[in-house]
Amino acid sequence: MKTLQLEFYKIRRRNVWLSMFAMLGIQLLWGLWAMRNPKDWELASGWMSLLYSLSVLDGLMMPTIMSLLASRLADIEHKGNTYKQLKTLRPAACLYQAKALCGTIILIVLLALQAAFFILYGYCLGYEGNPDLHHYLLSYGLKFASCLSLFLLQLLLSMLFANQMISLVIGLGGSMIALLVMFVAHYSFLPWGGILSSTLVGMDWDKTSRIITYFYREYSPIETAAVVCIFVWVVVFYAAGHFLFTRREA
Amino acid sequence: MTALQKTISAERIKLRRSPVWLAFFGLPLISAFFGTNNYRMNQGILKSEWLSLWTQHSLFLCFFFMPALIGTYCSYLWRLEHSRNNWNSFLTAPVSHFALYFGKLFQGVLMTILGNAWVFLLYFVCGKLCGLTTPVPKAALSWFLCGTLGGIVVCCIQLTLSMWIRSFAIPIGIALAGGIGGLLITNKGLGCFYPYSLYPIGMRANNPNMELPAGQFLSGCVVYILICCAVSVWKLKRGEG
Amino acid sequence: MQMAVQNLIETHNLTKRYGKALSVNTLNMKVPPGAVYGFLGPNGAGKSTTLKMILGLVRPSAGAITLFGSPMDEKNRIRLLTDTGSLIESPSYYGHLSGEENLHIIQTLKGCTKSDVDEVLKIVRLTDAKNKLVGHYSLGMKQRLGLAAALLGFPKLLILDEPTNGLDPAGIQEMRELICSLPSEYGITVVVSSHLLSEIDQMADHVGIIRRGELVYQNTLESLHAHAKEQLALRVSNMTIAADLLRQEGIETQQEEGWLLLPMLEDALAAKLIRNIMEQNISLYRVEQRETSLEDIFLTLTGKESSL
Repeated sequence: MKTLQLEFYKIRRRNVWLSMFAMLGIQLLWGLWAMRNPKDWELASGWMSLLYSLSVLDGLMMPTIMSLLASRLADIEHKGNTYKQLKTLRPAACLYQAKALCGTIILIVLLALQAAFFILYGYCLGYEGNPDLHHYLLSYGLKFASCLSLFLLQLLLSMLFANQMISLVIGLGGSMIALLVMFVAHYSFLPWGGILSSTLVGMDWDKTSRIITYFYREYSPIETAAVVCIFVWVVVFYAAGHFLFTRREA
Repeated sequence: MTALQKTISAERIKLRRSPVWLAFFGLPLISAFFGTNNYRMNQGILKSEWLSLWTQHSLFLCFFFMPALIGTYCSYLWRLEHSRNNWNSFLTAPVSHFALYFGKLFQGVLMTILGNAWVFLLYFVCGKLCGLTTPVPKAALSWFLCGTLGGIVVCCIQLTLSMWIRSFAIPIGIALAGGIGGLLITNKGLGCFYPYSLYPIGMRANNPNMELPAGQFLSGCVVYILICCAVSVWKLKRGEG
Repeated sequence: MQMAVQNLIETHNLTKRYGKALSVNTLNMKVPPGAVYGFLGPNGAGKSTTLKMILGLVRPSAGAITLFGSPMDEKNRIRLLTDTGSLIESPSYYGHLSGEENLHIIQTLKGCTKSDVDEVLKIVRLTDAKNKLVGHYSLGMKQRLGLAAALLGFPKLLILDEPTNGLDPAGIQEMRELICSLPSEYGITVVVSSHLLSEIDQMADHVGIIRRGELVYQNTLESLHAHAKEQLALRVSNMTIAADLLRQEGIETQQEEGWLLLPMLEDALAAKLIRNIMEQNISLYRVEQRETSLEDIFLTLTGKESSL
């Protein structure tokens, strides 16, 4: 617990919060712009379309945002060369847990703010009815797990390689892969496809009428497996990070 | 050797043993694969062959990935000096501040040009692989040249930011934000005033007519490049305050 | 002191202000050619800031700097830096490159030859480790690499900020011998900063002592040593009369905290003077022999509270 407090203490003045809020701000702007003029038929299925759009937005941006966050948290120690010092003060496992937890908390705040903002925006646009609580909670839960797996992967890379270019390029590449997957499938077992797999909403685009119909997806066994896979990634990346960090020689 | 040659070859030594160019090789490759795939899946709607293929290749690359990638490279170039006490030895080298900055700029610009050339090479190869029989549009040369110039603007901005901001990630975040913001601003038609829009405008991304307001575009590029160079050299001259 | 030769470094009322805090205050430093100038002061006294201003890394808030007789400004900067080597704070290096590659960078920028690189590597005894990545060097090796980089091109002036930081005793000894040999062997003038008096005492022939940004002492090391003399201290019942008596014998005294301080005397003279005092019915309580060491002088000059 103390280590966690220290972790937050260390990121004071490092603008971690600020930079994460800025990233959220970009998402919001992009979302605002993309959804600004809803048509009537869009208002009817507004809450479903929102869930869908957010998945696309997050699927594309989160791999990169998570790599930025992880790099910010890990780079402090590379810069100050403080791993050695810290390891003498605290067990390595404790440090790793603190960093992971610190990122997790920031992630939760980020997602909560995002949800709050877009739901508010949905009401402002006049989406019919109320958001479907069950689906929203489930969707955000799964999105959190996907982002967490990405964050843990990036944390691992950022701590392992002092050269932050490696981890950030992998983050960017992850965004690309997510984009690629998004256009060809509804699910993916790759870590960057997690947000896509957990999109609870599907859509149909009628080419002639140019109307999109949204619906809640029926999950086939393989798609369910892809969702389960998200949690597998979380565990794998956490364990790998834990293992590599505690074994790493100072 | 002149001062510029000195700083350029010094920067080249610093980049040894760190295959950061791999990023410029790998990411466009994924992007081209994605674009081509998307083109093939939607050949029903995308009828204008090379032009359609280009729309698929360029959109996300120009607004999202390339600015961030160039930003990452620029951050890397300055991180070499931000770490340890390297600023001290960097700034006591007996060459002018301009030459010091130019050494960095040269590497950044070189990588931007090579990266962009690679994007176009992939575009042609993918087009051929898709079985496009019509000749490659001649205008593609203009897309490449203007796009590269726009990319250099992004490179200049990012070099200035990364020099100023000691953090590795924050300038990249700005590049990401800048690129996405460019999508909005270009749509409003104000692209030539906004540095991160100059790259997609030059590349004719998200631009069905493939037009370019040449005068505005060129002056936008020149103005931003000059501003960035001036600010950077001024900042180097000021030292630690 | 003979001042016919032009000083290599001269600062005139050099001042640096960070916000309200004065980091360096109207400092007038004079480094004669061929000297090993020890720049001495407790941590945080403004040593690094001064040296950085001399190198043009930090802009002075006021005052002027002259190197080799020319003002250190934008116009002369490059020429002056060409004749200067420096190692400021901890060494600069690119960890992913080998020691030799690191030196090649400096060599390229300074425009000197490859054989210079081999020579400085030999001087700092890194020839065997030149192909190792600097990231894997020990702290002492990094420090030596930093010195090698500073020595590249054999500049006329070498500025070293705490060069023995992080070195083991053998390394310190080696660094010290190397620095001492530079003026005679290569004609290099050296400015070396330290917070340890003993270190400066063993390396330098000139010394400047800085305290809270002010130069409180500057002269040759010899004249600093001259301050470090032995004294006799007397405690008597009437100091005024005793002092008068001593003055008649041509001996100047000082009064301090109830003690009468006089210079060290021959045994015979001391005996005679003491007899004189006692004959005047003055009680003599104590006679002490006191020593002011260099350390004491340093502490007095820099203020006890701020030193290590």
